[in-house]
Amino acid sequence: MLAQPSTQDDLYRDAADLYAAALERLAHAYEADAEVRRDLLQDIHIALWRSFAGFDGRCSVRTWVYRVAHNIAVSHVISQRRKKSQALVGLEELESVSDHREAELAADRRHSLERLLELIQRLKPLDRQVMLAYFEGLDAASIGEIVGISAGNVATKIHRIKRILARQFQEGGRRDE
Amino acid sequence: MTNESPPNDRLKNIWQNQPTEGIHLSIDEIRRRAGKLQTKVYWRNAREYAAALIVLGFFGLGFWHATDALVRFAEGLIIAGTLYVMWQLHGRGAAKSVPTEMGVASGLEYYRRELERQRDLLRSVWSWYLGPMVPGLVVLMVARARIAPGHLGRVALSSAVIALVFVSVWWLNHWAARKLQSRIDELNALEAQR
Repeated sequence: MLAQPSTQDDLYRDAADLYAAALERLAHAYEADAEVRRDLLQDIHIALWRSFAGFDGRCSVRTWVYRVAHNIAVSHVISQRRKKSQALVGLEELESVSDHREAELAADRRHSLERLLELIQRLKPLDRQVMLAYFEGLDAASIGEIVGISAGNVATKIHRIKRILARQFQEGGRRDE
Repeated sequence: MTNESPPNDRLKNIWQNQPTEGIHLSIDEIRRRAGKLQTKVYWRNAREYAAALIVLGFFGLGFWHATDALVRFAEGLIIAGTLYVMWQLHGRGAAKSVPTEMGVASGLEYYRRELERQRDLLRSVWSWYLGPMVPGLVVLMVARARIAPGHLGRVALSSAVIALVFVSVWWLNHWAARKLQSRIDELNALEAQR
């Protein structure tokens, strides 16, 4: 994947090339406001570049990139929560909330993405990390390494995620077909 | 995770192919912005120290011109308290995580560490932020009451207002720390399942 980079600059350049789009999506999942999101993304890139000064290869570059990005984003959520008062919920609560929501379902990709972002942005940080990594196509072991929970725990959370998604998007999916 | 149902495949596809701005920063740009960020932190700290210097200047003048020994002693205690708070602010500001630690720590570890750092800061607000100012303020009120016994009511009222502010700040911080603790407990329970 990466061509054996050796310096901080090389590591950053390669990682930024590979994960630029994923980092933008991650920032989108943590911040709805476009202007603030750009600042968050910039903070992630700066932290990533600075972090590579101490990268010792004890985990993969991908795990490192996601950890730094998620951790910067979590700090952002914590500081933003002092300003905004919206309560974050866990997957468990989201399941029960879903039951009471009006079944207005997505009819197009844009609407589906908006609904998806709305769901993700309401999640507590760790559940949000699992959901994002799941959407990025990472396997349970990699997700566990990034988030710091067991693969079994990841599997349980993904099972819940799938159930929530099925409930929220099933009808929209049928309409799209 | 490999055998996805069609709706989940569709959602993953929507997620991964969402429009992005393609923001790209060159190394020089990153260096420049990182430097700017450092400057911003430097000026924020400078503002805090400037505010403390104003307090020090105000009470320093009082200390210099005070004719009453007890007032001078109170002003000295307030100056010492302010210096102690400045020293604590400096130390606690430097304790923030550096980017390399963010790559080493998992999401759970980092999140818990940040919450614990905030909880400890809130819990200890009395010992490092409010407490050091109390002796000076108490002695100052006693000195004023002694100097002007005819204005005891005014001294009592200002003492009560200061006490109310201090207790409110302490209570709000304590309440916020308790809320953080319940979130830390949740994370500990999650880690225990590993």
